[in-house]
Formats: sequence, structure tokens, C-alpha cells
Amino acid sequence: MIKKYTGAELVIESLISENVKIIFGYPGGAVLPIYDELFKQNKIRHILVRHEQAAVHAAEGYARSTGKVGVVLVTSGPGATNTVTGLADAMMDSIPVVCISGQVPTHMIGNDAFQEADIVGITRPCTKHNYLVKDVNKLQQVIHEGFFIASNGRPGPVLIDIPKDIQTFKAPVKEKSLFKKPILYRSKDINQDSSLNQFVEMLQKTKKPIVYIGGGVINSGISASKQLYKFLKYTHFPCTQTLMGLGSYPTDDYQFLGMLGMHGTYEANLAMHQSDLMICIGARFDDRITGKVSGFSPKSKKVHIDIDASSFNKSVNVDLTIKGDIAKVLTKLNIILEKKGFKFKKENYQAWYNKIEKWKKKDCLNFKNSKKIIKPQYALQRLNELTKKFSPFFTTEVGQHQMWAAQYLSFNKPKHWMTSGGLGTMGYGLPAAMGVQIAHPRSLVIDVAGEASILMNIQEMSTLSQYRLPVKIFILNNHYMGMVRQWQELLHGNRLSESYMDSLPDFVKLAESFGALGLRATKPNELDGMIEEMIKVKKPVIFDVWVDQKENCFPMIPSGSTHDQMLLGPDDEVDENNSEEGMVLV
Amino acid sequence: MRKKINEHIISIMVDNEPGVLARVVGLFSGRGYNIESLSVSEVDSDKFLSRVTIVTSGTKIIVDQIKAQLLKLIPVHNLVDLTEEEYFIGKELVLVKLSNKKQYRKKTLDIANKFNACILSDSEVEMILEMSGNKKEISKFISKLRPFGIIEITRSGLVSMASGVDYIKK
Repeated sequence: MIKKYTGAELVIESLISENVKIIFGYPGGAVLPIYDELFKQNKIRHILVRHEQAAVHAAEGYARSTGKVGVVLVTSGPGATNTVTGLADAMMDSIPVVCISGQVPTHMIGNDAFQEADIVGITRPCTKHNYLVKDVNKLQQVIHEGFFIASNGRPGPVLIDIPKDIQTFKAPVKEKSLFKKPILYRSKDINQDSSLNQFVEMLQKTKKPIVYIGGGVINSGISASKQLYKFLKYTHFPCTQTLMGLGSYPTDDYQFLGMLGMHGTYEANLAMHQSDLMICIGARFDDRITGKVSGFSPKSKKVHIDIDASSFNKSVNVDLTIKGDIAKVLTKLNIILEKKGFKFKKENYQAWYNKIEKWKKKDCLNFKNSKKIIKPQYALQRLNELTKKFSPFFTTEVGQHQMWAAQYLSFNKPKHWMTSGGLGTMGYGLPAAMGVQIAHPRSLVIDVAGEASILMNIQEMSTLSQYRLPVKIFILNNHYMGMVRQWQELLHGNRLSESYMDSLPDFVKLAESFGALGLRATKPNELDGMIEEMIKVKKPVIFDVWVDQKENCFPMIPSGSTHDQMLLGPDDEVDENNSEEGMVLV
Repeated sequence: MRKKINEHIISIMVDNEPGVLARVVGLFSGRGYNIESLSVSEVDSDKFLSRVTIVTSGTKIIVDQIKAQLLKLIPVHNLVDLTEEEYFIGKELVLVKLSNKKQYRKKTLDIANKFNACILSDSEVEMILEMSGNKKEISKFISKLRPFGIIEITRSGLVSMASGVDYIKK
């Protein structure tokens, strides 16, 4: 007779054959059979988080820094609903995550049972796909399919809801090789040759090119970054990167003009605005990038390379689309360019570079430094300088500190920058850093945080302490929800409604209570020494940096404005027509 | 600049599994697209396939986006925009219940005859008529019957196919 296994055993069996090494989770009634099986084995390590939202962010950090699928295990009801923000975050930023949730037994579904929630219904719009498993014989197929969907095509989160009775019912184990691919992925690659040839023609005609790089390059893997580097060095084209794309091309290189978009550099945004050929690689013309769509890069021909056809012509009309995995498309493109011997002479773009050089001279990231008070930008410059040699992983929370981190840190390798771009989830950075540190135990992992964001998942200090994860939390503490305040100043008549952070904890004592090291700097000359101490200490650190409370994040394209209507500093004013339009935008 | 808004009939072949309709409909409501009419039923009981017909409207950009988003749903096998095919047929079905009053009987039967409607039930108190046709024909049929004591009306969504080969099977 064939040996039969329980659903819970099959879950573990399938996870092992998917090569899962780490699970982030939190137990509860409806997943006890799976936790029991976890206890009996030693191939998969379980990390006990302190809140299920953090489990998903940790899995995102793990996935983003390794390229593997992040795995989450939670119970039914509140356990599952707590993952929703994390899943929505992974959906927006295309991060491969598989979330397994327990569910009340099949016969009780729909009866408002204890800890029952229709999590498949709730997460339908914020997952790439989700399942409720009602037959133990289909459990393995579903898990393998889930991993396949999460990591193939445009990556994303998948939720698998397993009722408790299914976890105890028995079925024979199936080989992974027997599993069928979902129909969507069975079709062959489309022929890109004609569009690639058209693209090559456009490349030769351009005098003012700009390459606009997004997070898709990072998702496509290291080889995509290598091919991109080859392409840019071959053509000498200047490039800019989105928040999600940072690191896919070295940001210290001269062809890189800085991040673009709402808080991007003057030169990057103006190059976008005035270019005659825009090459968008793995980005999606997000509203934070385009500003007012009707005035977005009016003179350029636009080419869009992406794996997801629904990204094409969604908000901005483009002239040529090339659908495919970026690494493969760029490899093909580079081969064509080399084979046909196209030469891109640097001199051809000299006039364009001269123009860019003029914009660069504005030095838009310059700020008035102070000897008495720590400027947040200065703090990040010092952090960057002193940590560079360790090639650190950076995560962030969401707000002004996130934009400053994007502007003032260097990102010379892909997969070293984890931030919540699409959803803008405050509380993302600490758990994400946790996931990164688990994946890279010996690396330097720093969460650049604000004092408001960090409090949203501060309970994870306990997880850091339990697993001795030496994550460094670098808080730019200005006692305000800085980005909220900045918008209130610019667009809401300086009425600072509820944006002051009152009754903050003493972060040094808070760190100590979790067995971490607490540091505090209030003067610029204290920074260097404390950053060095922070790096040296082999345990988690909260470094509370008291920065200038009034500082705002510039340059800025206010909502409803175009790339050539940037505010470069606090003295620039928002155009009144635009400010009314901008007020209703986000 | 105003762009032209057109009606589109999109026929979608999906796996007949729980929640599939919610996925399709949720995509429309979540992204703010219109559904003017919807019909769905199983068409292949061996392969568990259902066919969904949705009538929607929008500019070309919106409709292209709708199609691209639908094709990303895992249970969606294929879809065809019938309004882009050279020739297609669209039919709706209507049932009309009338109070079977003597003085109206002849006129009612004349209308039924003219519109090729069939009589499904004919008793002393009521008469139920069934008629199929396009939206316009059905609306006309109903308005003609209106003076003769309609008790209730129910009508289906549109079902549609293009002439020629099976566009949706690939």
C-alpha cells in the first residue's frame, strides 16, 4: 500500500522540495498541525515575528535581497488579516512572497466560526493569485503552483489558505516534477525581433537619449543589471533610476543623473523633460515619476521594455513596446548591436551632455550645513561615507528620511536597497531589515528610519533580540511626520494638523529594554564616532539622531506639476494654479 | 481633447472554479471600469470551462488595459473582443409576464407574433412570453407590451459570438 501523509506533512514536504530554508510566521489555532510538523524537522528554520504584518515585510526583505521567494506562515482570522498590508505592499512592488494561512475547518467555513475571516475574499485584489484548498489531494499542486506564480512573470504575492481539517486529512505524496504549470505560463515567448530592429533604428537616430530604469531590472536578476551596464557603456547614454530601481546601475557612475520623479534630481527630471528618446526599462510610469501626465516628456519618442503587458500605455502612451524578461531582451539587444557593429560615438551626445552638465551645476542636492544642528542630509552623507566599504544593505521606512536616503546614499549593487515604493508602507523598514539580516547574517544591514515610522513595527525589536540579529536602526528624529508636515506647509496653509509627534519614547532606553544598544547624537560632531560604534557593535542598535526639525525634502515636483516646474529649495513657491490642482492629488 | 468611447463585447474563457467570477468582476470594480452587461455559464463540462461575456465601454486605451488586466488573471485561458471581429452576433433573452385580460389578448398575441416571441405559459390569469434579440429589439418589444398589463420582466445579459472559426480556442 502507498504511504499516505497528512496535509500538514505535505505542506512541509512541498516547502522542502521548493528549497525553502526560512519561514517567517506566528502560530495560532488553525495552523497548529503545520507548526507541529515544523517542530519535527530541521530543514526549515522558523523565525517567530511579533506581528504578522512584520512577517510579510521580513519575507519581502528576504526575497528582495536574495531573489528567492519569501515564505510566511500565519493562522486564520486576525493572523491572516494582519498580513493584508504586507501582501498589498508586495503586490505594488512586485515582490515574490508565498503566504500560507490556516483556516477554520471546511465544514465551519461561512458559519462565523471563531477566528474565521474570508481571507481569500479579502486578499483577492492585493495578491497576484490566491487559493482556498478544499481537497488534500490538490494541496501539493497548489503549493508548487503558488511558488511558480509568485516567482515567474512579474513577481508578486500568493496566498494559500488551508483549512485545519485539510491539514489533518491524508493523501499520498506526489513528485514535484508531476506538477502542471498554470495555463497563463504555457505559451511561448512572443517574437521580439521586429520590435527590436525598430528599437535599434530609433537608437541610432537619437541625439538626446535618456534611459529610465525601474525595479523590474532588479527583479529580472543580476544578469539584467550586467546587460544593462553593458548596454549603457556601449551607447554612452545617460540614465536615471526610479526609487525601486536604485542599484540596478551603479549610482556613483557619471552616466547616472540621479533618481527621477517627485524628489528626483534637477538634471534627471529635466533630461526626461527634454529628451528625444526615452527608454523605459522595467518601470511603470508611476504618478510619482510622471508628475502631470499631459506635460510629461512632451518631445520624446518612448520605448517601453517590460514583462507585464498591462504596464504598457497604462498612464503614458508609448511609441514602441517590447514585452519580455529584461535580462533576455537586453541580452538579445546587445548581441544585435555588437553583431551589426553599430558604433555609438560619445561625441554624438556631447551637446546633450553639455546641457546636462549645466543642470548639474545647479547642485540641486546641496543644502546649508550647520555646525550646531545636525542636518538630516549631512547625517546620511556621513552614514554613507563611513559604511561604504562594507557594501551595506539599506532598508527604509516611509517619508522624508526615505527620500533623503534615496538621494544621499550610494547604491552600487543591485538587491542592496529595500524600500516600500508603491504602497508607501510606514513600518516596512525594520521587519524588512530583519529579513535581509537573516538572509545575510554577516552583512551590515541598516534601516534608515523616521521616529514616526519606526513606532509602527517597533515590537520587532524583540525578534531582533531573540535571533541576535545585529540590525542597525538609524532614526532621523525630527519630532514630526516630516513629509506630512512638508505637504501641510506647501499646500495647506501651514496648518500642521496632527503631524507633530508628541510623547515619543526615549529611544536609548527603549533599545536597552530589548537588549539592544541605544545611541543618541544631537550635535554634528558626535555623528562619526557614534556611526563607527554602531557598525562595530555585534548586536542590534537604535541610533537616535536628532536632526533639524524644520528641514524639508528638496528638490520637489509638487503634485499636479511637470518636470520643469521643480522647487529647488524652501524659497521657491508653488505655482498657485498647480497648487489647487495638486491639493486633490496625492 | 475628448477621446471616443466605444462599447466593447469581451468574451472570456475561464476555469470554472469557485471565485472566478469574483476575480473578473472585482477587477472591473476595483479599477473603476464599467460593466454594462454580464453573463456567465459553463460551456465545457469535461474541461470545466466557463464562458463569460462582458459588455463594457471606454476609450481604446481603457479597453486595451481591461483586456491586459484580464489576461493576467490565472484562471483566464483566453479572451476575444468580439467588437473587433468582422461579423458577430449578440443576443439577449427576455421573459415577460402579462395579466391575461380578454380585451388585450388579440393585441398581445399580434405583438408576440411580430417579434417572434413564444408563449411559455398561458392560463386564465397570466401569460408568459419569451423573446430573444438584441438590446434594441427587446426594449422595443417591452415598450409595445407596456399598455397591456405587464406584471413582471426579467432579462438576461448578452451572449455573443463571432462568425467563422472559434476565436477563443487557442
